[in-house]
Amino acid sequence: MFRIVSIIGFIVCFAGIGACCLVRPCKGCGWGGGQILGRLMCLFLLPFIKWRLSLLGILKKLVYWVALICFFLLLVTGFAQRLLLGEAISGYWLMLHATCAPVFAICLALLALMWAPRCVFRWGDWPRLEGLIRRVIRLEADAAEPAIEGFNLGQKITFWLIIVLALPLILSIVSSMFPLFGTHGQELLLDAHRYSALLLALAAIVHTYLMIRIQMKE
Amino acid sequence: MSVKKRIDRTLKKGLIIKGVCCWLVLALSAVASDGQNKIGDVSDGSLAVPVHVIGLLDGEGDKISPDIEPVLPFSTRQTCSACHSYEVISQGWHFNAADVNAVPGRKGQPWIFVDPGTCTQIPLSYRPWAGAFHPEKLGITTFKFTQLFGRQMPGGGPGELESDDPDDLVRQDVSGMLENNCLGCHNAAPGQDQAEYAGQVARQNFRWAAAAACEIASVKGAAVTQPDTYDPLMGDAIATTYRENTFDHEKKVSFNITRKVPDQRCYFCHSNIEVGGHGPEEWEADEDVHLAAGLTCVDCHRNGLDHNIVRGYEGEDAASQNPLAASTSCKGCHTQGRLGAPVPQHPGIPPVHFEKLTCTACHSGPWPEQMTYRGKTSRAHALGTHNSNKSADALPHILYPVFAQQSGGKIAPHKLIWPAFWASLKDENVTPIPLNLAKRAAGKVIGRRMLLPTGDWPALTAEHITKALTLLSSDESVEGEAVYICGGKLYGLDESGKLGEPQEHPAAQPYIWPIAHNVRPAAQSLGAHYCTDCHATDAPFFFGAVDVDSPLASGQDAAKEMVEFQDINSFYARAFAFSFVFRPWLKVVALGSCALIGVVLLLYGLKALACVVKALSQGN
Repeated sequence: MFRIVSIIGFIVCFAGIGACCLVRPCKGCGWGGGQILGRLMCLFLLPFIKWRLSLLGILKKLVYWVALICFFLLLVTGFAQRLLLGEAISGYWLMLHATCAPVFAICLALLALMWAPRCVFRWGDWPRLEGLIRRVIRLEADAAEPAIEGFNLGQKITFWLIIVLALPLILSIVSSMFPLFGTHGQELLLDAHRYSALLLALAAIVHTYLMIRIQMKE
Repeated sequence: MSVKKRIDRTLKKGLIIKGVCCWLVLALSAVASDGQNKIGDVSDGSLAVPVHVIGLLDGEGDKISPDIEPVLPFSTRQTCSACHSYEVISQGWHFNAADVNAVPGRKGQPWIFVDPGTCTQIPLSYRPWAGAFHPEKLGITTFKFTQLFGRQMPGGGPGELESDDPDDLVRQDVSGMLENNCLGCHNAAPGQDQAEYAGQVARQNFRWAAAAACEIASVKGAAVTQPDTYDPLMGDAIATTYRENTFDHEKKVSFNITRKVPDQRCYFCHSNIEVGGHGPEEWEADEDVHLAAGLTCVDCHRNGLDHNIVRGYEGEDAASQNPLAASTSCKGCHTQGRLGAPVPQHPGIPPVHFEKLTCTACHSGPWPEQMTYRGKTSRAHALGTHNSNKSADALPHILYPVFAQQSGGKIAPHKLIWPAFWASLKDENVTPIPLNLAKRAAGKVIGRRMLLPTGDWPALTAEHITKALTLLSSDESVEGEAVYICGGKLYGLDESGKLGEPQEHPAAQPYIWPIAHNVRPAAQSLGAHYCTDCHATDAPFFFGAVDVDSPLASGQDAAKEMVEFQDINSFYARAFAFSFVFRPWLKVVALGSCALIGVVLLLYGLKALACVVKALSQGN
């Protein structure tokens, strides 16, 4: 069941990204070799763009970079065996997964601390929704809040999704390491971990795509 | 009328009466064998055991009376089959080893032939279990097999088969057949003496063994010392004496028969003890938790008339016709709560353990230590018999617990022996050399002076092996290259006639069989303390040392790592075990991260709530 849901989820996610690229391509985006290379370079240099190179800035970039690598490793080790072979994670895959997991957890916590202020929802994020709400509750318009550079609504939504999903993701697997839950409970925790991992992975993929897209536009 | 004529007439009458009786018995048997149940085959539902006050029949089917000479031993086949279908019972697990049609099921404990004089310790079985050899490959006929191992057999099986050896056939006329000994299990009288049974079998008194073992009779004499022409129906060299007041006025005997076999009966053949430095005395060891809780062996190991007893392993229902095979396994009782079995929760144990391990891996056998224990079993070491060798070093050397992968892929605790035997190698196939040939060669080389009173291996050297192999190679009856297998290796002579380098060969692999007893309570199972019971870099489960038992002096003190029997890469096992050093830190880091994330979510969540509240309060 989980295998099928995961495959469908990834297909839908990448199909959505592909459709978005086709329907609303970035300026200068194309499918030429040079342009593809450019996008890859952009992805690679993403952590180094736009932030000041202070000590804190370097730390933020490092955390982001490490989180990205850990995410990628966790994604591959967590889903490859399940999706490709239909087997539960085991062997060296499991060890790599368990090694990257605490690092990823720390990175997520630090990213939550560092990025939360940037990702606060503001009235200017979704003008149509804002108008609707104001009409419904007859709220008087406040002075327009300055938009935060680089973080659009989609990025904010995916950011908070990731942070919220991180809790069940981590707690489900850590709880299983204590003698609290019996076999049935262990299976439920494992399912919770799997599904929250899937949702977090999809959110992270969309978030990364949006980050690239913003950078490419600029 | 003269006395002689009277005697003749009486004899004739007796013969006629006997003839009619025999005909009746045969006719009844024929009717019964047409598929009709006998009176004792099917219960009427009463839980009470019918009282067995019955006449005794000898091997010919004649009723035994203490007044009629010669006094013969009763035959269980004749006596019991009057009411119970003996042929159906003979198809049961305890009796069907030699039946080629019997489903072998999971590998079990083999019979182990041991001969320190030829440095032989070889697993034998009539069942086609991988690693065990058919007795006939060593020239052991059914008659010889019965004499060797009938001490702890319930009778029947090879004991009732005619030998292929003409010499044995003659001896079988003297000894008789070793019939199913129903009383060996079903006689609840404290006087049932299975040690006496073993003694009788050793003397080839097969016909007399069942009678001698029960409380109502004693047997003097030995068939093994009688000439081939001895007629047991006429001679008195082997005398059966029924105890006083055994027979009532109708020449019937009262047996204390039980349907529910007492544990003592099972223990005679199925006992087990650790030996050696850290082996506890019997009184120091804890018994199986099921028995301590009040269950008996037959509460789990059940059977019907067909005696197809439940062996109790996972997946047995695929091989057994017993309808209770699935429900009286560990899972069968402990998931349903049958017989008061607690339903385990296994808190904190990831479900993958139940895919990789049997229940017995954590719950059965002794708690594993850095070295395997050496153990003795009833059937391998003749425990409980007269003059059994009590030395801890007596062959065969059985090592346990060895956590190995069994045929279904799960890891389970096993007992293990390293086979040692002389064989011939032809086209990569190893065939044991018949014992008489091995004795002629190796027995001559090793010599009686080298034998130890403890029954341990003699101090075999490479020179001895070379000499023995040279002798065997010159024996024309040995087909192929003469080799010796011991300590997990195969030794042969090189072209120059010297002992070559030891080689690996499948026939040299140890014979292992799963164990299930004694079951330890939950608080003493592996994992009860912490994951590091097994997942530690020095945990015996993966990294314990399994002795390589070898008669070769240079091969002793060798050991293998437990993980080699589990189809797991040793480096991976160590790396995985090492990762558990950091597990507490992983938990701290993970929980700390969660706490931080939770605080951020709480903070911004409250901020968002404040905005909403503010917006709602500002609305018209």
